[in-house]
Amino acid sequence: MSLLETRSLSIGYTQKATSPKVLQKDVNLSINPGEIISLMGQNGVGKTTFVKTISGLIPRLSGEVYYHHDPLEHLNANELARRLSIVLTEKPYSHNISVLELIAIGRHPYSNWMGVLSDKDKKAIDWAINETHINYLADKKLYELSDGQLQKVMIARALAQETDLIILDEPAAHLDLYNKIEVMTLLRSIAQKGKGILISTHDMQISTQLSDRLWLFNFNEPVQQGTPEDLILDGTLEKTLYLQDYGYDMIHGSINIGTPENGTSVKLEGPEAVLFWTSQALRRNGIKVSESAETTVSCSKKEWIIRTPESSKHCTTIGELLAYFRQAANPGSRL
Amino acid sequence: MITQFLEASQKKWTKVLIGLAVALVLCFLVNVALGSVTIPLSNLLSFITSGNSGQPSWDMILSNFRLPKAITAVLVGSALGVSGLQMQTLFRNPLAGPYILGISSGAGLGVAIAIFLGFYLGGFLELSGIGRSWLLVASAGAGSFLVLLIISLAATRLKDSITLLIIGLMFGAAAGALVSILQFFSQAENIQAYVIWSFGSLGSLSWSELYVFIPVILIGLIGSVLLSKPLNTLLLGENYAVSLGLNIKKIRLLIIINTAILAGTVTAFCGPIAFFGVALPHLTRMLFNTSNHLLLTPLIILFGSALMLIFDFIAQLPGMEATLPINAVTALFGAPFVIYILLRKKNLNYAYQS
Repeated sequence: MSLLETRSLSIGYTQKATSPKVLQKDVNLSINPGEIISLMGQNGVGKTTFVKTISGLIPRLSGEVYYHHDPLEHLNANELARRLSIVLTEKPYSHNISVLELIAIGRHPYSNWMGVLSDKDKKAIDWAINETHINYLADKKLYELSDGQLQKVMIARALAQETDLIILDEPAAHLDLYNKIEVMTLLRSIAQKGKGILISTHDMQISTQLSDRLWLFNFNEPVQQGTPEDLILDGTLEKTLYLQDYGYDMIHGSINIGTPENGTSVKLEGPEAVLFWTSQALRRNGIKVSESAETTVSCSKKEWIIRTPESSKHCTTIGELLAYFRQAANPGSRL
Repeated sequence: MITQFLEASQKKWTKVLIGLAVALVLCFLVNVALGSVTIPLSNLLSFITSGNSGQPSWDMILSNFRLPKAITAVLVGSALGVSGLQMQTLFRNPLAGPYILGISSGAGLGVAIAIFLGFYLGGFLELSGIGRSWLLVASAGAGSFLVLLIISLAATRLKDSITLLIIGLMFGAAAGALVSILQFFSQAENIQAYVIWSFGSLGSLSWSELYVFIPVILIGLIGSVLLSKPLNTLLLGENYAVSLGLNIKKIRLLIIINTAILAGTVTAFCGPIAFFGVALPHLTRMLFNTSNHLLLTPLIILFGSALMLIFDFIAQLPGMEATLPINAVTALFGAPFVIYILLRKKNLNYAYQS
């Protein structure tokens, strides 16, 4: 049974005088318990509109949205708040509340008119704090938190709302790599508890490494969906994000910065990790890595040996290696 | 376990609130006891318990002047503080206050019309005593009610709150301009009567007026306690509030009506008491270091009442015959206090993003 399902959904904006502006039409998508889904597409393609539509903030143009088997229009605001929670990129307006108070606000759909917490509320808050490993932050004020800590607190707030479905907008924006990995691990463990997670993102790591499925929105084309790896191999991801011209590296899932080749080409040999980073550095400097090149670079962890038909040279860093090729390309200039 | 945190904070805040309540009672007693005539505490207490202080002249002073004024101060302090808090949170603006939507301008316009046009229709100045004060109350109330009506109509149509704020400001400016025009064409005594009204006064309420004033303000204060929980969700921003199941249009309308009842009634009976409603929420947030409305609302009610009693005490210049306008005292003594705390805390972290 899916947590959320859309049937022939059309999204967009109604305008007063003219016909409505349709961003996506005939959208048929569903999220199952335990799934992480990334919603991708270029700016302006309708990702935010989609999220706003399924959360009932703006009216849909046509079609149906179901939560479990309940049509969206049968749920009032409070009932919907028990099905769907969100984590936005915007920060809370006030930072002078404690982490605990913030998470307690997540119990708004359940607590009584005075906001007095019942035992059930306390249990849910406790669970959310444990799940996100933020016990040590509980009595801190929001202004004392780093961006990474705040993001985990906001996720805990969404968890305390006890919804089956959580929507996150760019959950790793502004986060350093360490915190990003922490948030990704956290989302994975939340999904394993049977929740559905929908992430609207431009982040390649989140979409291709964390997600179980991708939903790809494109202009004037039907929505594509599938396992990230399938969509990478059949070129759909590349096409949707308009990456063809930028040399999306489908093997490594990264993007090569397109430096024009300067005519030099080398053959690389050595252990995989060193090979990967050496070839990235060479390509960035316009040097082609090719099996049939005359110049060979033999890499090991500590040294790079350049062998041309005429001579050979030892380098101890990639920096030195690049300097050699730069000088070879412009023999007149001195190091 | 979070229950420990919750219990600890509950204990702490219960203590703070009880302490504040005790301080409020002390401020009340001191305010009532001191003035041009000093009434000993024992006599005062016997007056409160048995209605007899031992001296007929003291009975008269207490029941006709001091008690009505102290009760007014308590209600005005809490009403202005709470409505200022509601406006600051609703509009996410530290400069917002009870009068940001033009309520005092509307009331001012009503009063100006009553005074200046009343002059032509038979003379406002001829009216005396109770008739005159009820006319002021009615015209100020009508003015602020009109503003409330227009703002509420706008609130049900508009999507975002900030636009509403601008409409309120425009409305205030227009009302101010009309008052200027009326002043321009009227005579000195009328202008003086208007200016004196605009100074604000806590001491002009008789018991007959208090019988209206007390229940209306109490209703407003109860409303503000009930609105504390939805106001808390607004601390996260409107998008989060909606995702938590808040009906933003309904709550916004309720907050505006609540503020209008509190600030409109205060303005109608006591004149436009400025500054207090803007400064008190900041002062309370800084001193007690919280933005949680479930705590802030009772804190502001107690602290605002006590502070207004102190300001009133200063205004009546103990031992002297004259009384300063309350508006001057709140700003004169309040502003340096706020500046001092701001400089000590160095930033506005207590309320907003750093």
